[in-house]
Amino acid sequence: MLDITKAELKAAFADLSIIEEDYCQCGYHLSVDLTTKDILDVADFFDERHFYLAVELGVDYREYLEIVYIFASHSSLCKVKVTLKLDPSHPAVPSLSKIYDCARWYEREIHEFYGVRFAGHPDMTYLFLHEGIDFYPLRKANVPVPAEDKELLSSFSPEQREDALIVNMGPQHPSTHGVLRVVLRMDGEYIEEAYPVLGYLHRMQEKMAENRTYYQFLPNTGRMDYLGAMSFNLGYVTAVERLVGIDVPARAHCVRVIATELNRICSHLLWVGAYLADLGGLSPFLYAFDDREHIQDVLEAVTGSRLTYCYFRFGGLYNDVDEAFIAGTKAVIARMRGRFPLYEKLVSGNVIFINRTRGIGVITKERARKYGVSGPVLRGAGIGMDLRKKEPYAAYPDLNFEIPTGRNGDALDMYHIRIRDMETSLDIIEQALARLSEGPFIIEKAPKKLKPRKGDLYHVVETPRGELGIYIVSDGSDKPYRMKWRVPSFSNLMAFPELAKGNLLSDAVAILGSLDLVIPEIDR
Amino acid sequence: MLELARANSLWPVTFGLACCAIEMMSSAMARFDIDRFGAGVFRPSPRQADLMIVSGTVTKKMAPVLLTLYEQMPSPKWVIAMGNCAISGGPFVFEGQYNLIEGVDKLVPVDVYVPGCPPRPEGLLEGFLKLEEQITGKRRFPGPVERC
Repeated sequence: MLDITKAELKAAFADLSIIEEDYCQCGYHLSVDLTTKDILDVADFFDERHFYLAVELGVDYREYLEIVYIFASHSSLCKVKVTLKLDPSHPAVPSLSKIYDCARWYEREIHEFYGVRFAGHPDMTYLFLHEGIDFYPLRKANVPVPAEDKELLSSFSPEQREDALIVNMGPQHPSTHGVLRVVLRMDGEYIEEAYPVLGYLHRMQEKMAENRTYYQFLPNTGRMDYLGAMSFNLGYVTAVERLVGIDVPARAHCVRVIATELNRICSHLLWVGAYLADLGGLSPFLYAFDDREHIQDVLEAVTGSRLTYCYFRFGGLYNDVDEAFIAGTKAVIARMRGRFPLYEKLVSGNVIFINRTRGIGVITKERARKYGVSGPVLRGAGIGMDLRKKEPYAAYPDLNFEIPTGRNGDALDMYHIRIRDMETSLDIIEQALARLSEGPFIIEKAPKKLKPRKGDLYHVVETPRGELGIYIVSDGSDKPYRMKWRVPSFSNLMAFPELAKGNLLSDAVAILGSLDLVIPEIDR
Repeated sequence: MLELARANSLWPVTFGLACCAIEMMSSAMARFDIDRFGAGVFRPSPRQADLMIVSGTVTKKMAPVLLTLYEQMPSPKWVIAMGNCAISGGPFVFEGQYNLIEGVDKLVPVDVYVPGCPPRPEGLLEGFLKLEEQITGKRRFPGPVERC
């Protein structure tokens, strides 16, 4: 696939310089540097070959601005980085939003953080920020927002038509699971258009990353996605290890997998509970939280925290696991296996639940690719991509497990996938426990001050919600020059307006819930 | 007498902001069971609630919403600042930050502060006991210091 893509790319664009990169170091195979006139043709090229746009981001190199696009394939391991250099005084690019739907939000984000204009973009209003911020936050120099750009940014007005009924959902709404705001334009009980408004919990994580050393940023990862804190922690730690070139002992790899999978079960359990509560059934919530507490007890004993874990260190772990942890994990496995029949009885066979979720919020394979959704939502649509299998990290290469996929792509499928995902996690933990060898849990000389190589890296891991991508630009110092988090809930939420269109208001809650959103992760 | 009734039936508004909201949910569940103190009736509407638990980071975009919610609550009303973010901005304060309210007490009067990142559910329960003490002037249980 990689060779074919490279050959075809060369044939289609003769004058491009295509550089083959070291995948182990950079996380992508090819890098292409473009001028703005070629970008639409190149995006079309990747679209025809069924690539998805994993992320689009901006980097400020002072002399020039760079827009980075990462194109990846669902079926095989082939990643291409496409870059565009822009003049920082008047940055303008053609928009990709007609080719890839997910580009729409990424471009809005780049616009408000860097001031890049996207020609042909339908909606350039505020996504994260608000009128009170009068400079572009991620630019290295202080660049004030010009008046005409400010006017464009604040031009959000859903009430264009006189007869339109506007329903405002959130930011304080129990079923948005945090502080998401969705403005719905209704036609009676049916949704005509949904506009999510983000940024109510924008905590400037990417700006913070540029101000701190790699070590100092470590605790932030757990606060980004508080339900899958371990996965985010693991993603960050493995990314930096890859950038610096640290090898991790086998025991640490195994413990990392066990802890991450336990946390994944916790996250899915909370989803099951909260989703059912959204749909009106409160008892599964109580059962799910009870199970969660048992897992949290085990994790708390080694990590010291209940929720926002920061257990992994560069080169290993914070501390070693003991016999009690292993016994506790085994007890959790036995307990959880006994609980699945209960959930089956309580939820899976429930007629009300099935009728509320079957055929609701159906996402097709093609639309899933265009939006770049990932995780259980993508697998529900029938694309069996799991980064634990596709680009294995930690101890995953040695483990044997099945990836559950759905057929219909509706909310019911996503429920079943998450339940089966938990069973898969139990299998993984069992295998990892069996492979747990004696030995050090952290490398002997863990560096006090990191010396990363110069350059960039795009590293991905599978979190409970999908593909987490970390793009780091390093200038060789112990602080990252730029760190971009490609978060799974962000791209999953992008699909929501399309899924909600034409549905009943009450079904919007079912659809929103099925995407499993964590708001601080979206807002960062 | 009225105070006693109020202290034993604090109704919090369902207002989860960030990570602390999950611990707030945990404290309402079976193991920690906030209902023991009569405070388990989470109301989605601020008009039916008399306690706001600010459980998470308050950003400048969120501040007007929080104020509206607070003003919609009928008096007498109380506020618990749960977690370091609500107390002072917590781990997200740095030089040049542009989007954070450094402490919710800059917006609304706060009665009880519960530190932690996030606080354990036990911490929140202790916060409730402290609030009850403020309302009635008497503590429900002997505190951890007095007991030993």
